[in-house]
Amino acid sequence: MTLQVKNLSKQINGHTIITDISFKWAPGEIIGLVGRNGVGKTTLFRTMMNHYIPDKGQVLLDDQDMEQVSSRQREVFFLDTQDNFLTNYSLKELPDFFKIVYPNFDQQRYDDLLKHFNLNAGDQYRRISKGMRALVNVILALTSNATYLILDEPFDGLDVIVRENIATMVIDEVADQQKGFLISSHDLNELDGLSDRVLLLKENKLVHDYNLEDIRATAKKIQLVLRDKEIPAVLKDHSKLIRVSGRVLVVVVTDYTPEIDQELRALDPVLFEELPLTLEDLFRANLAHDTGYQLLK
Amino acid sequence: MQKQLNRLIWRRHRRVFGIVGGLSLLIALANNVIVLHGLGNSSNAHELVGSNINKWQTYSQSDFSAYPFWLSLAFWMLGILLMNIDLKDNFNQFLFSSGFSRRRVYWSKLGMGLAAAIIIVVLTIIVQYGIFWISLPANIGFHLAWPGLITSWVCGLANSIGVFALCWFAALIIGQTGSLVVTLVGFTLSLTGVASIGESLITMSGWKLTGGQVTWLASGVWLLVACILFVWGAYLYRRLSLEHNGEYLLFPGLKVPVYIVFVVYVTTLNAWNASDGTSAVVAFIASVGFGYFWLWRPSIMEKWHQRRSRS
Repeated sequence: MTLQVKNLSKQINGHTIITDISFKWAPGEIIGLVGRNGVGKTTLFRTMMNHYIPDKGQVLLDDQDMEQVSSRQREVFFLDTQDNFLTNYSLKELPDFFKIVYPNFDQQRYDDLLKHFNLNAGDQYRRISKGMRALVNVILALTSNATYLILDEPFDGLDVIVRENIATMVIDEVADQQKGFLISSHDLNELDGLSDRVLLLKENKLVHDYNLEDIRATAKKIQLVLRDKEIPAVLKDHSKLIRVSGRVLVVVVTDYTPEIDQELRALDPVLFEELPLTLEDLFRANLAHDTGYQLLK
Repeated sequence: MQKQLNRLIWRRHRRVFGIVGGLSLLIALANNVIVLHGLGNSSNAHELVGSNINKWQTYSQSDFSAYPFWLSLAFWMLGILLMNIDLKDNFNQFLFSSGFSRRRVYWSKLGMGLAAAIIIVVLTIIVQYGIFWISLPANIGFHLAWPGLITSWVCGLANSIGVFALCWFAALIIGQTGSLVVTLVGFTLSLTGVASIGESLITMSGWKLTGGQVTWLASGVWLLVACILFVWGAYLYRRLSLEHNGEYLLFPGLKVPVYIVFVVYVTTLNAWNASDGTSAVVAFIASVGFGYFWLWRPSIMEKWHQRRSRS
């Protein structure tokens, strides 16, 4: 089973929001979707889910176009966090709708999770706090038992305990390889611990599809202090500067080869130390406007 | 699959059906109470329903109307609410990713809406007639006849379905609730002008039609218009992209056609019903200016704000 997004493009009022987005997603994968504000993450989800009519492209589920074979949409869950219909209903009424659309909706688990998180089933969705609403959204996603679950900023407004609970539930869900998650979040630390893959959106395009394990094998984050004030060509050509503190530079080299290592060591830096590479580093390295070295001028 | 979709639409809209139905019954009840109160003061023996009920034409008098006007109002409200509420409450998002095809959603919602409206009509008529049947004073007769009843029901229902179709279609293409209501109220009121144009056209054509025949003809036109709007609506519904939520027109491609239709409609109405040509010219200029401002106002306002912020 595979969900394939193929060349998806969407313009809104003459502005290009997403262009030629393509990727594959299989059950068992947790994919993080990252990008700066306004880059088109939510538009991508909405276009995938038929809320927006794409200008170009398709979403295929096992090679079947979801637009043509609409019944297959039931295998994908997406609840728009900004524009959803839940506000006029109480928490106990919500399953009435989701049970009809998702045939494997688990009412018992829904009730149990509401109790577990001390959510009152009689409360109106619009009257509960932003964090609680986010939590209800995640509970609905998990209990829908859809194969593919899209979560848009699921950790937004949640306290650290609830975040941990949700992260654990997400990991448990994919353990048997029956479900997959596509999660957009600005909380890169949270995604770092969850995702196997990260899709990076930049300027309306999907610029990177990282397998985090692979990238950690090839990329390095290095902290160094150079003897010279001049930035050497090896750094300018192969690395992205992500932090400067006095003379201490922190750089990410996405394709770290023995040759680069040799060249760097040949510079005889005062400090040369490898640091653990995080998703945030990748985000900074890729989504900063440029390499950042002009800051040093 | 169809059963599930019907369940979903019923679960979603049952409150609307209940409110509109309740309102219709309440108005019927209030109307009957007022009529009965007025009749209570009369000691003469007479019939509540006049002899015209025996003719093949609609029967509507102040004391008794075989198909009361507020039933059309119920269709008017249902047409707007069924389409607009799902847009405003973002239920369309859920429907569009629910696994039911848009074509099926559209026709199922339409079918259930019309079925509910017809049930409201039947219940209201039963209540209205029933109360008269039971509560009329002994000196007042209540005798009905099929010709008047059938004509009133069929023509009333046809007109109501036409009104429903207009509201349904307008709510499908207009994304702002306030503007939608204003547009529809204006358009509904302007229909008297359209009716007078229709009558003039019939006279000019040389057809010798009786009042009853005109009523049947009008009902046929209403049903034809309804069919066209329903089919056109189905075509548009499949192409509804929700990024234009909150804008006056949900289909930017309709902006120019709507503008042209608006200008032609307003100008024709005024030109036809006015005694001089001046009012037609005024109506043309006003509709050209107003229509342009109304339909393009977001970009006009944006440019205006940009100019203000620069100065």
